[in-house]
Amino acid sequence: MTQTRTGGEEDVFAALADPMRRRILDAVAEHGDATATVLAAELPVSRQAIVKHLTVLDRAGLVAGRRAGREMRYAVRPERLVAAARWMDRVAARWDARLSAIKRLAEEPASRDPGVT
Amino acid sequence: MSIQTPDRIEREIGIAAPVERVWDVLTRPEHIGRWFGEDLGGGGAPAEVDLRPGGAFVIDHGFGAYPSRIVSVEPPRYFSYRWATAFPGQEASEDNSTLVEFTLTADGDGTRLRVVESGFAALDIPEDRIPYAGYESHSQGWVDVTAGLATYVEKLPA
Repeated sequence: MTQTRTGGEEDVFAALADPMRRRILDAVAEHGDATATVLAAELPVSRQAIVKHLTVLDRAGLVAGRRAGREMRYAVRPERLVAAARWMDRVAARWDARLSAIKRLAEEPASRDPGVT
Repeated sequence: MSIQTPDRIEREIGIAAPVERVWDVLTRPEHIGRWFGEDLGGGGAPAEVDLRPGGAFVIDHGFGAYPSRIVSVEPPRYFSYRWATAFPGQEASEDNSTLVEFTLTADGDGTRLRVVESGFAALDIPEDRIPYAGYESHSQGWVDVTAGLATYVEKLPA
């Protein structure tokens, strides 16, 4: 896993909490790389708003921008996204294990109340 | 499958036992000690549980103790607490913790037990905790944020 720059990489969850930012990230992923102008043409928000969202995504380490002529072209940086996704999957898997354990304990016949079928 | 936002995890299970029985397993210290560490091979010491709003709920599953804080106790239907799993050893407060909510619903003779953990978006996960996520997982889970993004992530080299 690539080491990312310091500062801001903890913002992944906050950055992804906004539905429009998820749509923007999605669109960038589909394009491979994209400018704010291209994204504004297909999403229902202004170019200015897109630029702000891209700045947040950039700060969270989710996209990287490079200058191309007069505009910035953004591409997805997968490392943080994959790490965050695995972290959430792991948390979910732990809950599955705990719920299964609760089920097993609750269904143990020896400790069931008599009279309950 | 419902779409999960990155802010919350939702899981549910059907249990062939009455709501009251599931409530006991969920909230009694000797049971909590058994189900809590299940993902790590099972079996921990009985937990410290002060079963009332604001009460302490100390869970130790081997990685370190989580001094959690009970938020709501509504037997036998609803139980919630906050914990700071990204910060082992720290007391749970509003800005370092997630909220865990259990809801029990009668379903015939059995019970639907649902757990929601939320508030991840407000957390600052320290970099050194992220590798905990390093296990491979086959669960689609959170990656289903949006279809396009999920496809993109799946295509990435592992």
